[in-house]
Amino acid sequence: MQKLTGLERILKTVKHQEPDRVPHFELLIDKKVRDAIMHDTNASYADFIEYMDIDAIMVFDKTMTWSYETLDAAKGIKRDQWGGIIRFTTTDLGHPMEPAIKSEKDLDTYVPPDPDLDWRYDELKRLVKRFKGERAVIAHCTDVFDIAKECLLGDVTYFKAMIKNPDIIDRVNEIVTNYELRFFKNCLDVGADIIFVSGDWAMTKGPMVSREFTKRFIAPPFQRIAELAHSRGVPCFKHSDGNIWPIYDIIIDAGADGIHPIDPMAGMDIGEAKAVFGDKVCLCGNVSCAFSLVTGTTDEVRQETKEVIRKAGKGGGLICMSSNSIHSGVRPENYVAMIKAIRDYGKYPLEDHFDNLVIPGKKCHNYPERL
Amino acid sequence: MVNLNEISKGIIEGDRNAVLELTKAALDANVPAKEILNKGLIPGLKKVGDLFETGEYFLPELLISGEAASRAVELLEPVLSKGNIPHTGKYLIGTVQGDVHDIGKNIVIMMLKGNGWEVTDLGVDVSPEEFCSVVDKGDFDILGMSSLLTMTMPNTAKTIVALKTAGLRDKVKVMVGGAPVTQEWADTIGADGYAPDASAAVKIATALVGES
Repeated sequence: MQKLTGLERILKTVKHQEPDRVPHFELLIDKKVRDAIMHDTNASYADFIEYMDIDAIMVFDKTMTWSYETLDAAKGIKRDQWGGIIRFTTTDLGHPMEPAIKSEKDLDTYVPPDPDLDWRYDELKRLVKRFKGERAVIAHCTDVFDIAKECLLGDVTYFKAMIKNPDIIDRVNEIVTNYELRFFKNCLDVGADIIFVSGDWAMTKGPMVSREFTKRFIAPPFQRIAELAHSRGVPCFKHSDGNIWPIYDIIIDAGADGIHPIDPMAGMDIGEAKAVFGDKVCLCGNVSCAFSLVTGTTDEVRQETKEVIRKAGKGGGLICMSSNSIHSGVRPENYVAMIKAIRDYGKYPLEDHFDNLVIPGKKCHNYPERL
Repeated sequence: MVNLNEISKGIIEGDRNAVLELTKAALDANVPAKEILNKGLIPGLKKVGDLFETGEYFLPELLISGEAASRAVELLEPVLSKGNIPHTGKYLIGTVQGDVHDIGKNIVIMMLKGNGWEVTDLGVDVSPEEFCSVVDKGDFDILGMSSLLTMTMPNTAKTIVALKTAGLRDKVKVMVGGAPVTQEWADTIGADGYAPDASAAVKIATALVGES
């Protein structure tokens, strides 16, 4: 098959057609890992994407499009653009310490950030200029659920409000959704090829909230974003760590074209996912960045990558990725081994590279049977 | 006469006002605080934990019920202290160094308190040295460590090593939990217990205290 561009490769696999090879990109790739692979501390994220010939690059909202006010540099404490106070320790993304809204009165006078500020789109414009048509340029946003829960209300208040005060969640959801719809519209106008929404709906054990609450509070904002993407002919991907078996159909019904990362730590088997809903969405995952990419040998990573492709690659509909991101604990040589294995074993037709290419269809979990 | 089953029912239904009113009424009727705890609050929280484990309850229900129980325990505290009635146990808890996630830890605390544990929370980003120092000065039954990140999980192991080095390892039982943590990891680092969620944490903690 003729060699495709990264963008063509991804769009074809999202349509459940077999491209030239299984595509690959990552949600985040830590600078330490990138520098170690490139032996160049001055190289940019985009330089790394080009150097490794990765199929897409993501403009990550929190690190590239949000504003922050430093409150305590020594302790890494900042106020994010939503007014929430966060603390940065070992991760690039920080963790919420104090929400912006502590009472309904705060909400009455709340002024959300302005999505139309030009500088938010500077990085996206640079990447569109550099990669347009060659690699997918992905506009990323954190889920409305995540921002409403972590930045605005605080997670405990948010979860309790689902039962005690649903109106406040509706109000906060509306504020954040309006921002994100405007933000994504602007990204699409600039030239983004794909929309990607991160933020977990599940934990290792299962969904954070019931199916009823997932449908009532969490899915509708995502659905509006997916509808915007589809109105512009652009795919919309949804990330959620954790065991999503009890709610996978809600994610699909809300309009996800791809689901990331099919979390193996939560017992999600990508072969089972392929058999149950792999014809409805593109599967994005799931080489373990908790174990093999961190502590495994390159041979183990290679074997696991091969297994992911064997289980889920047939017929397209697979983007081989790590099980979350290439974080600072990932061994650089293991990430290289993963990419190399995708190139070696991910060439279509896959039958040429496997002695026993099979798609497992066994049911191991309890999940809705509607699909 | 206050029916303590009604307190359990209030906990299960997450009806904080009912739980508080019934607890006050029980105290006014001179029902022993320990009996209110053991026959009202703890059975209610146990049922909530069971419903969480079987996937019928989720985080919102767990938090609402846990909060109702915690508030009721606050009413019982002065009476329990006055009567010199011991807690179920003393639990020291914190999120390990480099990690500032706290919702999981806070839910565990809520459930422990509702089950009659005295809990000392060291907060987030707690160094091995700080854990050791507090263990040294206190008389805790259990040290619980939470880590939500793969990259901070090794700090649970470092804390256990630090406890050993300081000669404090035998002074407390050690429990670990958090999204990337597994029973296998707990065994590898020599922890005494692993709990996948808050409900299990209470069960494991109670069992560990029973052992000692």
